[in-house]
Amino acid sequence: MGCSSSLPESTSSGRLDGFSSENVEATDSKNLRVKLVLLGDSGVGKSCIVLRFVRGQFDPSSKVTVGASFLSQTVALQDSTTVKFEIWDTAGQERYAALAPLYYRGAAVAVVVYDITNPQSFNKAQYWVKELQKHGSPDIVLALVGNKADLQEKREVSIEDGMNHAEKNGMFFIETSAKTADNINQLFEEIAKRLPRAPSS
Amino acid sequence: MASDSDSLTSTDDFAYQNPKASPPETSQDGLKFLTLNESENVVDGELALNQPVVGEGVNGQLVVEHDRGECELETEEPVAGEGVNGQLVADHDRGEGEPEIEEPVVGEGVNGQLVAEHDRGEGEPEIEEQVVGEGVNGQLVAEHDRGEGEHEIEEPVVGEDVNGQLVAEHARGEGEPEIEEQSSSSGPAAMAAVPEVGEVVREISSSVVVHRVNSELEVDAPSSPSSSGYAGERGSSSDSSASGIEEVNGDDIDEAVIPADHSVDAVSDSPSWVPGKRHINETLVYPCKDKCPNSEHNSLNWFTICRCLGNKDDASISWRKRKKHFFVLSNSGKPIYSRYGDEYKLAGFSATLQAIISFVENGGDQVKFVRAGKHQVVFLVKGPIYLVCISCTEESYEALRGQLELIYGQVAQMILILTKSVNRCFEKNPKYDMTPLLGGTDVVFSSLIHAFSWNPATLLHAYTCLPLAYPTRQAAGAILQDVADSGVLFAILMCRHKVVSLVGAQKASLHPDDMLLLSNFVLSSESFRTSESFSPICLPRYNPMAFLYAYVHYFDVDTYLMLLTTSSDAFYHLKDCRIRIEMVLLKSNVLSEVQRSMLDGGLRVEDLPVDPSPRPGSLSPHLGQDRLTTESPEIFKEACLGIGGPAGLWHFIYRSIYLDQYVSSEFSSPLNNSSQQKRLYRAYQKLYVSMHDKGTGPHKTQFRRDENYVLLCWVTQDFELYAAFDPLADKALAIKTCNRVCQWVRDVENEIFLLGASPFSW
Repeated sequence: MGCSSSLPESTSSGRLDGFSSENVEATDSKNLRVKLVLLGDSGVGKSCIVLRFVRGQFDPSSKVTVGASFLSQTVALQDSTTVKFEIWDTAGQERYAALAPLYYRGAAVAVVVYDITNPQSFNKAQYWVKELQKHGSPDIVLALVGNKADLQEKREVSIEDGMNHAEKNGMFFIETSAKTADNINQLFEEIAKRLPRAPSS
Repeated sequence: MASDSDSLTSTDDFAYQNPKASPPETSQDGLKFLTLNESENVVDGELALNQPVVGEGVNGQLVVEHDRGECELETEEPVAGEGVNGQLVADHDRGEGEPEIEEPVVGEGVNGQLVAEHDRGEGEPEIEEQVVGEGVNGQLVAEHDRGEGEHEIEEPVVGEDVNGQLVAEHARGEGEPEIEEQSSSSGPAAMAAVPEVGEVVREISSSVVVHRVNSELEVDAPSSPSSSGYAGERGSSSDSSASGIEEVNGDDIDEAVIPADHSVDAVSDSPSWVPGKRHINETLVYPCKDKCPNSEHNSLNWFTICRCLGNKDDASISWRKRKKHFFVLSNSGKPIYSRYGDEYKLAGFSATLQAIISFVENGGDQVKFVRAGKHQVVFLVKGPIYLVCISCTEESYEALRGQLELIYGQVAQMILILTKSVNRCFEKNPKYDMTPLLGGTDVVFSSLIHAFSWNPATLLHAYTCLPLAYPTRQAAGAILQDVADSGVLFAILMCRHKVVSLVGAQKASLHPDDMLLLSNFVLSSESFRTSESFSPICLPRYNPMAFLYAYVHYFDVDTYLMLLTTSSDAFYHLKDCRIRIEMVLLKSNVLSEVQRSMLDGGLRVEDLPVDPSPRPGSLSPHLGQDRLTTESPEIFKEACLGIGGPAGLWHFIYRSIYLDQYVSSEFSSPLNNSSQQKRLYRAYQKLYVSMHDKGTGPHKTQFRRDENYVLLCWVTQDFELYAAFDPLADKALAIKTCNRVCQWVRDVENEIFLLGASPFSW
């Protein structure tokens, strides 16, 4: 991690959530607004997952995310409630690692992404899981996502490895392909279902 | 092709004959300029740069220097001392016109003579002055007056056509036939004179043949039809035995190669420029001198270093061919960034650079630059980070150093500030590898480096605005001001690299270099276009020790908003601000006006108002009205010497010193391809550096004529004007035109500049 262990000063007080102490904010009894952060090594496809989910697009040309991008998307669940995801798509580059707390602090959901063809990215995912357990909100919903599932022939991280790691850490696990849109909506719907519901008043 | 054997006399001969006649002319010329100035009330008595040179009385080179108004280059002439004499002088002469010759070794001898010829031809402004007075064919007459045989070639060319395009052609044409002569007779001699580079010469001649073919196509394509004969001439001679040498006819070749071979450096600056690193395969010539020309450094084993530069990394034939390298390395010699090639593979090379720096540092000194033949190695030390530029582009040390400073600024902006402990990391572990921290920033650096060859902001330390009607810009400014009052440090609305409006919180002002780095960062990072984002960023000039948060949002493909704040939790507030701004901009049609202005472009030299008197009683046409009129109405055409604006004006840059802003005219014919534009930019760069030279300057005016342009620079307390004219432009007329340009700029200043944000300024 090189230098990243020391946080820039202002991040310690930094908050992006803009919410009260509740991580999941109910605008009314049926509609939720949640902050979701994506973390993972660079190049695993975080932005592609988000863009597939939010805009239904897939752009194979790689665009390196700078800092973090913000997008939002609302999911309607079968019980006629809606969840509005406010998504922070963070940069995977090493130099931004120190700033990650700025983005994941106060997040109700963290999606940790790795690339199934790249074992290193799986290691990095494990690092993020640890970091979130240490510094994230205590009731944060964690999801482990193995992306690029369309590249089966190049697979280097087995489903079992992913599942085991998720299970050990009480995470929700899924393999997705932003390219083919496989499991993308399922990922977010599943997350929405797992959100702690504020007691309806 | 009427040149006789006289034209083959060595450059030296020429250099020592000619000045006998010229010094009086030169000084007279200076006086004349002065007089003209006075009569125009343009400037006070400061002489053109030329004057000091005359005083030095460096014979031989005098004329040449006078032309270029540049002293340093000639006097430094490092290699001359080493006994390559004639070629050397030539080398520099040539540099003027062809900044980027790739085959330096051969080029030196052959081309130099050529250009020296040119210089002589154009060297007596005295004569040209008469000439223009006499009429269009004056040039010719003038040559005859001087009774020097070499210029017969000009006759047919000038005779053929007198318009601007042709003249440009003529400047080139002058040279090429000359070189054919040389290639047959003096070519081998040149080779003999430089036996140690013999191999290199051969290498060139093989690789070059291909290029030549291309070059013909290219050279002729943009010129007028009448040049076809000339092309044929050239083509036939290409069969001659010494074709390799002929090839080296720098200028055109170098440019011509570009379109044919997309791997050459210059390609990176062509419209099809693609960010990022490129890898190519080409034959390579890299000049090696046995000794560092700077005698201070002769104790270094320069040959070894050059071998390292030139021969060691064999996977990098193409790498060595690059004309301009940039490296960032750590003080332990670890590569951090390289413009070309893989940083990891350059470890050995990087260590060599580090060795040079620390060798000098150990002596209690600091190395600024090293010159090796045509190559210049410029160093910049910033704490544990070393920046190095190696270039054979003839750019000055000052210019290259400025570029390194900007690169460091970009490094600081994106990387250092995010990891403040970098310095500590280096202290703890000198072998600390910083490369991973740069992941994904290649495009940002390559875009910045690209900007060094086209964006005047990198040179002038000023920003430029998108031309807009005053009320439109005011409307944009008002809403930005509104937002800035609510806790935003800077609110900047830009369209590509041009500012639409810009507002800072109280007392906060934004340095143009920070704006350049910021817009370069945003423009080159594609992800900003996808969605709104919130990123930490540093403005090194504003505060190198702190970082800000930048909210970035694109309104359309070109127009984007940047809101900077010190508060890390301001995202939602900034998002709200953006929504408010967007609504206002849409309502007041600012965004559509911005789009229109993008399409319409900026000031055009053809539109320069023509007034009989330099002090018009009436207002010059407004920018907005200009757009409605058809381009270059009849009346202007009459005043035009050739293509371009009146009096042969091709291009200008006006920099307002108080506003920290500049305005640059649009490129138009004959500056319509990117290599020509780049060449002009480099010429401006030289001009800028010579005007601001702390040793001999500051200067107030400079008039310089070479085979490519007439360049006129005028610096006052309020502004700096850089103007390029047709090489045959008349001096008096050029000065008059510059006055008109200034008047024009003043007349439209509230449309082309962002005037004080306070509403009271107007």
